[in-house]
Amino acid sequence: MKAIEVQDVSKRFRLYKDRPSSVKQLFTKFGRPKYEDFWAVKNVSLDVDEGSVAGLIGHNGCGKSTLLRMMAGIHFPTSGTVTTRGRISALLELGAGFHPDLTGRENVYLNASILGLSRKQTDLILERIVDFSGLAPFIDSPVKHYSSGMYVRLGFAVAVHVDPKVLLVDEVIAVGDEDFQRRCLDHIAGLKADGVTIVIVSHGLGVISDLCDQVTWMDHGVVRDSGEPSSVIANYLRGVNAGEDERLRIEAEASGLLFSPAKATESEMVDDSGNPLEFGVTGEPINMRVALPEVLATEEHTYSLMIQTESGVVVGETEMSAPMAQQDPLANGYTIRCRFDPLLLAPGIYEGRVRVHGGTTVRAEAMRDFGFSFRVRAESSPPGGLLRLPATWLKDNGR
Amino acid sequence: MKSVRELWAYRSLTYNLAQRELRSRYKKSLLGWLWSLLNPAAVLAVYTLVFGYFFSAKAPLAGNGRTDVFALYLFAGLWVWNLFNGTVLGAISALQSAGPLLNKVYFPPACPALANTITVLLQASIEAGILLFVMILLGNVGWMLLLFPLLVLCITLFSLGFGLALSVYNVFYRDVNYLVTIGMNVLFYATPIIYPITLVQEKSMTLARILELSPIAQYVQWSRDIFYGLTMPSATSLIVVPLASFVVFVLGLAIFNRKSRDIVQEL
Repeated sequence: MKAIEVQDVSKRFRLYKDRPSSVKQLFTKFGRPKYEDFWAVKNVSLDVDEGSVAGLIGHNGCGKSTLLRMMAGIHFPTSGTVTTRGRISALLELGAGFHPDLTGRENVYLNASILGLSRKQTDLILERIVDFSGLAPFIDSPVKHYSSGMYVRLGFAVAVHVDPKVLLVDEVIAVGDEDFQRRCLDHIAGLKADGVTIVIVSHGLGVISDLCDQVTWMDHGVVRDSGEPSSVIANYLRGVNAGEDERLRIEAEASGLLFSPAKATESEMVDDSGNPLEFGVTGEPINMRVALPEVLATEEHTYSLMIQTESGVVVGETEMSAPMAQQDPLANGYTIRCRFDPLLLAPGIYEGRVRVHGGTTVRAEAMRDFGFSFRVRAESSPPGGLLRLPATWLKDNGR
Repeated sequence: MKSVRELWAYRSLTYNLAQRELRSRYKKSLLGWLWSLLNPAAVLAVYTLVFGYFFSAKAPLAGNGRTDVFALYLFAGLWVWNLFNGTVLGAISALQSAGPLLNKVYFPPACPALANTITVLLQASIEAGILLFVMILLGNVGWMLLLFPLLVLCITLFSLGFGLALSVYNVFYRDVNYLVTIGMNVLFYATPIIYPITLVQEKSMTLARILELSPIAQYVQWSRDIFYGLTMPSATSLIVVPLASFVVFVLGLAIFNRKSRDIVQEL
């Protein structure tokens, strides 16, 4: 059974340049279109199976939120059809429709009825909502005295307790504190286990890949890729990286720098005999091979490799290399290699950044970073934190 | 038809929106609910002073043959006007102020206007209740008061149909709001509420005929018949008025439904 069927849906918005917002203008500007058509979503088809979790990813303004709003029935598609089965609860903004002067309890009833619940049905779940929100002592105070966090907690509690068949989540989980975010995610996972169909829009790729059964990548209103989460996310990241490289290249050209950054695809992990590896293993040796543009692969340049986590925490940096004479170009250009023995990184996804030092030449300020992403796994029990600290354990005999 | 069923499914929301409106209206005020009595009382006092005393307008003799209090004659028309005016203007502002919410959650966009109508109806029944109370004290009541529910239904349907249609156009062109405000002012004085229709008939029969065509004039006449004059409305008006009210409602709702699909992005 399909819980959501989106068939060839397009949505047009009119961007008014000089909106005829009065009747007079309507007549005086008659026949002169003063707007531009903007297709937020173009010919998108998407099915979500009952009880599955679908993710929507893409850059800002790619149309994923518009698509979600059409699923929720807020926007009506310009063409195509959206069919949904069962009660839909949309988490587009938590606590939407709360009235500041009413008490928390009154607002629960109001909010639940906005989501389509009757008074009697709300009576039944009121206690669970209050429990989940943790606002029992404040439930009879006007919500205008609530902090923003309390506001959001109450909104979320209502939205997930109305027994939705379909839950649409738009990046709202990102607002609460860490504890609240975890409870939200736990609850969403629980709903998933109960067979609720969920569609999530998020920029948190970790959340998406953890929760989703299928992922759709949207780009400028069209579907770029759809299917198995890991491959779609990988394609998306590749797309983002390519975009970034392009931007850096243009910036570099504009600022008069001669070289363009290396592409992420031109770096790889290899074993000692040069065979490519999918991932590194904590405690085993590994080689990072990075391709360089010709202008950077000269004797004038030295290199260092800095490693940081996905979220940008710098783990550490290698020593600077000795100047290397220019080699003959290989199939993939000029490459340098950096050997770790053993690799001390804990399992995870990291970003390597090669820093090119311009040596003594005038291009000293032209030191550039360019990065690539790699993955580390563990064969034995993984260390806590980011590193396996190199240390030895001894029996202490007092000396 | 489908839209009516949907509105029924969301009746709980309509009820809650109305409750929210009522609860928050007089919060933090000392007199609270008394305001809903003081407002019409003040208006009534002013009109009675200006038109009943300064202009010495005379009310016809009431059904019991003794009473001719101008204030009561006026009030029998004024509550009708308040119901109409409140429903139409309320429908327009309700849709506009529901904009942010409609952008976040789906619900039938007619709900806020309906909720507003409930609050206006409540106010109207308070006013009509006071009128009835005074009339009972004066011994001026008759069985034609049984028409009261039908009258309220007719006014509500008419005003709601009218208000819904206007509210959806107001989303696209905000002038509608201004035009309606002016129109309401003109209509108020064009309707024999603060003056008896006989006053116009003395000047010009044709003008009186035209004024009587106004649907509001018909409702006011009904109200005066059943509350003040204790006569039955004419047979023609008994058929035409409910029919016309119903047609206006259906038409208004149809226009609203046709247009309301694409209003969310305009709000």
